[in-house]
Amino acid sequence: MDVYTITVLANIALFSFLAISAWLLLLVGEISFGQQAYFAIGAYTGGVSTAVLQLPFGIALLMAIAAGGLFAGLVAIPAMRLSGLHFSIASLAFAELVRSVLNVFQYQRWVDGYLTGPDGVNGFRDIRWIYDAGIDPGTYFLMILGCLSVVMLGVVMASYGRGMTIVRSVGENRRLAAAQGMNATRVRIITASVAGAIAALGGTLYAHMATYIEPAQFGLMIGVHSLAYGLIGGMGTVFGPLLGVLIDIGALETLRIFSGYRMIFFGGLVALVLIMRPRGILDEATVAKVQRWLRG
Amino acid sequence: MLEIRDLRTSYGKIAALKGVALDIKDGGLTCLLGPNGAGKTTLIWTLAAILKAQSGSIRMDGEELIGAKPHQIVSKGIVTVPENRLVFPEMSVTDNLFAGAFSRRADKIAVAQDLEEVLQRFPRLRERANQDAGTLSGGEQQMLAVARALMARPKILLLDEPSTGLAPIIVEEIFEIIGALRDEGRTIFLVEQNANMALEYADDFYLLEQGLVTFGGKPGDVDHDELIQRAYLGTRKAS
Amino acid sequence: MVDFIQNTLDGIALGSAYALLALGFTLIFGVMGRLNIAYGPCIMIGVFAGAGVYSDLTQSIVMIFVATLAGTILASAYVERVSFAAIRADAALASMVSTFAVWMQLEEIVAHLFPARTYAFKELGHLSLIEAGPFFLRQESLFMLLVTLAVLLGLALVLGRSHFGLELRALTDSRRAAIISGINVRRIIFLTFLLAAMIGGVAGFMIAMSDGQVTPKFGLWATMKGLVAMVIGGLASLRGAVLGGMLLGIIEAQAQWYFGASVREILVYAILFAALILLPRGILGGPHTVWRS
Ligand SMILES: Nc1ncnc2c1ncn2[C@@H]1O[C@H](COP(=O)(O)OP(=O)(O)O)[C@@H](O)[C@H]1O
Ligand SMILES: [Mg+2]
Repeated sequence: MDVYTITVLANIALFSFLAISAWLLLLVGEISFGQQAYFAIGAYTGGVSTAVLQLPFGIALLMAIAAGGLFAGLVAIPAMRLSGLHFSIASLAFAELVRSVLNVFQYQRWVDGYLTGPDGVNGFRDIRWIYDAGIDPGTYFLMILGCLSVVMLGVVMASYGRGMTIVRSVGENRRLAAAQGMNATRVRIITASVAGAIAALGGTLYAHMATYIEPAQFGLMIGVHSLAYGLIGGMGTVFGPLLGVLIDIGALETLRIFSGYRMIFFGGLVALVLIMRPRGILDEATVAKVQRWLRG
Repeated sequence: MLEIRDLRTSYGKIAALKGVALDIKDGGLTCLLGPNGAGKTTLIWTLAAILKAQSGSIRMDGEELIGAKPHQIVSKGIVTVPENRLVFPEMSVTDNLFAGAFSRRADKIAVAQDLEEVLQRFPRLRERANQDAGTLSGGEQQMLAVARALMARPKILLLDEPSTGLAPIIVEEIFEIIGALRDEGRTIFLVEQNANMALEYADDFYLLEQGLVTFGGKPGDVDHDELIQRAYLGTRKAS
Repeated sequence: MVDFIQNTLDGIALGSAYALLALGFTLIFGVMGRLNIAYGPCIMIGVFAGAGVYSDLTQSIVMIFVATLAGTILASAYVERVSFAAIRADAALASMVSTFAVWMQLEEIVAHLFPARTYAFKELGHLSLIEAGPFFLRQESLFMLLVTLAVLLGLALVLGRSHFGLELRALTDSRRAAIISGINVRRIIFLTFLLAAMIGGVAGFMIAMSDGQVTPKFGLWATMKGLVAMVIGGLASLRGAVLGGMLLGIIEAQAQWYFGASVREILVYAILFAALILLPRGILGGPHTVWRS
């Protein structure tokens, strides 16, 4: 595979983390415009871990996951008391808060003759771990794919167990779920925390591929895109957000006929899907039908 | 005259009206009795076009009304006083009354006259004219809801359980107003669980049970006790 | 103290622009119970239309104003049709996401039609200061204040005196009661969009005039400011929107003076986040203005 193809595929995989993260919150009935905040937190945590603190890559991944989960949980504790519109705006406010803090966040050190570390609006250069370790793009893509598979496997396993049923029933009707003895608030907070951790994992993988990150990369539009992926792909299965990413990045960005007009097409597509199928292409009813058909 | 034939309405897969047929005659009070969950409110909302009928027909003087929008129904003179006293809580009593005349906005002078007339009929509303409707008592809100409906100059007035949740003395007052409206020759369709009171004023009545009209007639036609039993409990006396 | 008062004066002027943006959001939210996130980008279309007329056609301030207004209204009408009228009644959040989708489209349309990104807008003229003792008011501040006051007065008249105003208030107060009173809900919603677009167009025009230029960042900027002001004021309260806008303007002016621009940004989002959690109904939101999802 040539480098261009690998880059596109890697982008699809990286965006999928963010899309799955936003999709998980959709399942508990909340629209988050702010999952890019945890993507950014993961990117910065991971980048600082390897580039500045010179920690091993595996530790960096764990630290990013922990930071994403922790922040998302801390935000969710007050925010999950809100609902609907309030939660959406709170998520947006938090994401912009993170971005404006990163705009002034500085933590630079000399490492091996390079000055590296976050430098406010000027960004964070030389996150060079994959180059220092001699990992070629193809191998790194496989690593990303491995992480993504683990995440998706986790979600699929949860769908076969009790976990996803609980999450979905809380999303359907919080009060009814609570009346049946589920701790709806705890389910929502845990889901938000897991979603934050998944986004952060994607973020740190992204930072190491890009080697350069800056706060402006984690703007509102990224968050909205990842949300839109789940909504057009469908709420019924974890392959929904993936389908969304494939449609946008896989098809629209790579097909040259849309060059320069991608947003007009993608925006129109999202608007159209929301009109015709408010719960996405692979919605719950469709997924149930397919499952019945598979069982024969 | 409103002719309802084979009217069916459902909530998703649950059928609430299963082919209702009844007539609302001009210049009289037609009363619909029935136990809780019989579909009375569903019928009112269907007549008001808030709920969509699945099939059947609603004809007013021969003209089909199925398919019309809620505001078109109001313009045709079918005006609803819904259950639970739906008022505009954060608007003044006067504005609530003006809101009743949405369908006749061109007619400024007539609307002002009607406002005066309505306030005469409901002196308590005049006392509270500048108060927000949300601050009124339950009985006053019910009167406001009726008064607002009158502002539309209704040809047919649909009332959904106006007495529910009100103190007995207020219920008397409300029924007196309904009786007065009937005596003026207005066409009224009254949905009630309070069968005793309703039958005192009704010209015709129907009994709705589980989405079907099971009985219709004049108040004198049946054994009063059995009717009331069925209206409340929806069960036939073993006979 | 002198600084503080001076900042407050500047803040009120800035806040009046925010107040208008918040009013537009609130009007639409009031009748729909839904949020039009693309409100800022619609105004962006308007100011770019104004800038286009200014650079290619005429210097006439009236024509530029008309173009700004027309652009905003056209874009708003498109949003209303695609993201609100066409979306099922039980899918309120789908509407909000759809407005984001339309936003993407509007941004790209501007990027194609205005490739140079930054365009000049008709300026207000010479900037003389109006002084009073140690305090001064910039001319553009006074201009913004006066325009805002005029809009508020006009809006109060429309809402309080006109038939449409009564219908709008009724629909905002209780959708169900409005429907059974015979309001043509779709018509009022469409008209409310037009009203909000007109207010937004005026706000955009006056902001672009005092900046002397327009950039594609305007859409995001206007949406965020309007949204924050609206939330501070309490989601569905018009008075709250005006107050929230003023408050936001004053906070920003103080923070900018004492701490600089980057801290100002942080502070604004921190306040928005804290306000949502501590005062979910805003400073003036009443018991009826709670959002139900
Ligand atoms: N919004 C709704 N969704 C589903 N079922 C409903 C709804 N409203 C009423 N029903 C059902 O329809 C039937 C008729 O209800 P309703 O018209 O309110 O009866 P009534 O007014 O005579 O008490 C009942 O069985 C009720 O459970
Ligand atoms: Mg009822």
